[in-house]
Amino acid sequence: MKLAWWKILSIIIILYVIFVGLLVPLKQGITAVTPSSLAAGSSVNLKIIGYNTKFNPSHKIRVWLKLDDDHALECNKVVVVNETELNALFSIPHDLPFDSKVKDFTLVVDNALDGTTVLPNAIYITKNDSIKGDYVNAKIENLTKATEFTFPFRNILAETIRNTYFHVPLWFAMFALFFTALINSVKFLRTNDLTYDFKAAGFTYIGLIFGFLGLITGAIWAKHTWGAYWSWDVKQNMAAISVLIYLAYFVLKNSFEDREKGARLSGVYNIFAFMAMIPLLFVIPRMTDSLHPGNGGNPAIGSQDLDNTMRMVFYPAIIGFILFGFWLAQLKYRYEILNAKVIEDSNEG
Amino acid sequence: MFWLLKKEFTLEWRQKYSLGGIFLYVGSTIFIIYTSFIKIQPNIWNILFWIIALFTSVNAVAKSFVQESGYRQLYYYQTVNPVLLLLAKMIYNTILLLLINLLSFSLLSLVAGNPVKDYGLFSVAILLGSIGFSFAFTFVSSIASKASNSATLMAILSFPIVIPIIMTLVKIAASALRLIQDTSVWKDITILFGINLILGTLAIILFPYIWKE
Repeated sequence: MKLAWWKILSIIIILYVIFVGLLVPLKQGITAVTPSSLAAGSSVNLKIIGYNTKFNPSHKIRVWLKLDDDHALECNKVVVVNETELNALFSIPHDLPFDSKVKDFTLVVDNALDGTTVLPNAIYITKNDSIKGDYVNAKIENLTKATEFTFPFRNILAETIRNTYFHVPLWFAMFALFFTALINSVKFLRTNDLTYDFKAAGFTYIGLIFGFLGLITGAIWAKHTWGAYWSWDVKQNMAAISVLIYLAYFVLKNSFEDREKGARLSGVYNIFAFMAMIPLLFVIPRMTDSLHPGNGGNPAIGSQDLDNTMRMVFYPAIIGFILFGFWLAQLKYRYEILNAKVIEDSNEG
Repeated sequence: MFWLLKKEFTLEWRQKYSLGGIFLYVGSTIFIIYTSFIKIQPNIWNILFWIIALFTSVNAVAKSFVQESGYRQLYYYQTVNPVLLLLAKMIYNTILLLLINLLSFSLLSLVAGNPVKDYGLFSVAILLGSIGFSFAFTFVSSIASKASNSATLMAILSFPIVIPIIMTLVKIAASALRLIQDTSVWKDITILFGINLILGTLAIILFPYIWKE
């Protein structure tokens, strides 16, 4: 028996993805700041709640409110309550360097122990122009670089960011499997060799299982970020429909007495279904509003959602799941070919 | 080709009762809607119209391959190019669906009011919708006719495929009804046209393989 290196590779990658993807901690983040709106000219004590933070009085902690790259306010005094809670005392000047009435500020917390954290749009400050010239610009500099291997912390996503390594690669793998099934269906129609039909059916079968897993992982993710398991998001609906199309493929395949006739018609339908799936998954979600990234004006994955530590898990995960899917599909069609042979033999005997 | 198209019309004329059956189907569906809703909001009107169009189209097209006897199929197999046969059926079904959809539009307007503001856009939607349904259903009916449980297969094979068409149609029609202000309606029309083109081309490429059976 020849050694199938890619099967071993797929197992190694999937184990790596599970262990690294689930065990590596998240970077420290800020989950809440109160109060969230301030008036210019006031002195306030901001209560900052952190996640995975290690606030400690023995390490220097600095806090800023950042307006843009050139303008920021520095905190007067920082009091550490415990590891995840800070009190930061700000005195907001009257004269602020912006024109509109209200402006949002980004909260920047720098901990000398484990790096810098930001919370965008954390505080809204309403302007008050009664006194001029009391604004003092603070420079954000000498930020601490994080040295630990961590995944980024994103608000709302929080720990569910790890699902990126499972949900997204499952869909990639499903697509690769369906595409291979398509190629095999074309080959079958050209050669009339039933082996190709067995292959097409096997790849579609495993692709369908991956599609269901993609739906389930997506639903769990949706529950924790969008609020409901099924949010009637366009892409969710379209994915469910394409799963239906491929379920119909198996109904069609098994509704013929004659094996070869069923193979030919379902092969034709498989090509048709794949082409019908492309507008479902890639055209329609783009033209309607969707909660998914990359649709309806939301940024796509890759530009800013993935940082380098995530890429080290995400890209291998795609390869690993595709290889694993091919292995399962191979087992499935080999079993079906043997099964057909056994039935044939017993009919003859 | 023309001969085949003419044959389809003659055949349909000979079976007036089945054509009449479909028109009656449209009529009774709309009457049921009328009696159960009485007053229909424009957005519901829009969705109802396309659902009626979907179901009547399935029923109208489903018979295109099923109705012909085995002997006649054998005769075609020996004499005609399968692509021409499929094209003839598709064109015939498009014309048939266009008629049916116009009929259901006028009936629905009669009983439930006519909320259409932009007739040009709505006609484009009906035309592209008829073409899309005709392409998808003709092709699927040619697959389904080979199996024993063809009516069920027809529905489960074709409905998922036409969902993108229906969704774009509802969106285009919604702008024709002035339910939404859509500046990119031409993009939707192009997408629908593209889907129709893909379905038509695929059907023509793949049909010879089905026809071999």
